[in-house]
Amino acid sequence: MHATLCDLITDLVQNSIEAGASEINLKVEETQTNLNVVIADNGKGMSAELLKKAKDPFYSDGEKHKHRKVGLGLPFLFQTAEMTQGEASIESTENIGTMVRFRFDPEHIDLPIFGNFTSAAVTLMSYGFEGNLSIERSVNGETYTVSKNELTEALGDLNDLESLTLMKQFIETNEEEINKRPDGSNRSVQSV
Amino acid sequence: MAKMTLEELRNLRESKKKEMSQRDGNDKSAQIIIGMGTCGIAAGAKEAFDAFLDELNTREIMDTKITQTGCMGLCFSEPTVEVDVPGMPRVIYGNVDEKVARRIVKEHLIGKALVSDHIFDKPAADIIK
Repeated sequence: MHATLCDLITDLVQNSIEAGASEINLKVEETQTNLNVVIADNGKGMSAELLKKAKDPFYSDGEKHKHRKVGLGLPFLFQTAEMTQGEASIESTENIGTMVRFRFDPEHIDLPIFGNFTSAAVTLMSYGFEGNLSIERSVNGETYTVSKNELTEALGDLNDLESLTLMKQFIETNEEEINKRPDGSNRSVQSV
Repeated sequence: MAKMTLEELRNLRESKKKEMSQRDGNDKSAQIIIGMGTCGIAAGAKEAFDAFLDELNTREIMDTKITQTGCMGLCFSEPTVEVDVPGMPRVIYGNVDEKVARRIVKEHLIGKALVSDHIFDKPAADIIK
């Protein structure tokens, strides 16, 4: 299992990148009672048969590593859902795309901590792929959106140190804004 | 800091670009490639990423790129990082936690000396096949 939920999210969005998606939408919504995440892509998708296999930790298509016998990304998600009485689902259509959704109870004692969303977003935005990634993020009704296309338009090469630094500031300030409590104090932003 | 807008982001980038071009031009930049597969993430590659970003900024080594790759097949030694500094051999470092990341910036990128106790050779040819 991943140490934080942001690690889990990073891992799952990378699946979309590796599926050759040109559009990936990531929605991460926190409320008092729910954590809702949706990752939707228009990548190569999977057949029903392959989808079944993808949930098996002892299956990998072997394309990245010929001798590897494990694939843990999706199994980590289903394990976390099972352990915390959450819900997780994956739908996929070949040549159309894939959608992964999950809903966890933030209060469940066995749920990994949320983690640092800014780091997760910065690493995903600068992962180095052709397509676009749009993030819709909300905490208790406060929302912001950011997309790889608009960041590239404003900053140029996202792997430059200057761009990375500015992008991090941008996402961090937006995170601070939506994590503000009504009294002006900030929800503690966990970093692990 | 107050919430930044895209417009502010654009302007900041422009002013930084001007600053950059006023400095001595060295167009050969160093590259840091961080393994960010399931194994890397689980072992703390994001913490290494943040440490590199922070240390490079503190020491103002701006002509550097940080890129990412999937699993390099060295899962037992994650987080793994490949460092390419012009004029030096490409090196893969293993077990790069926050401290080691900062050492790589200080010793390898600035001091031009390898961080010997964290070096991995490339895997043997038969393993790569």
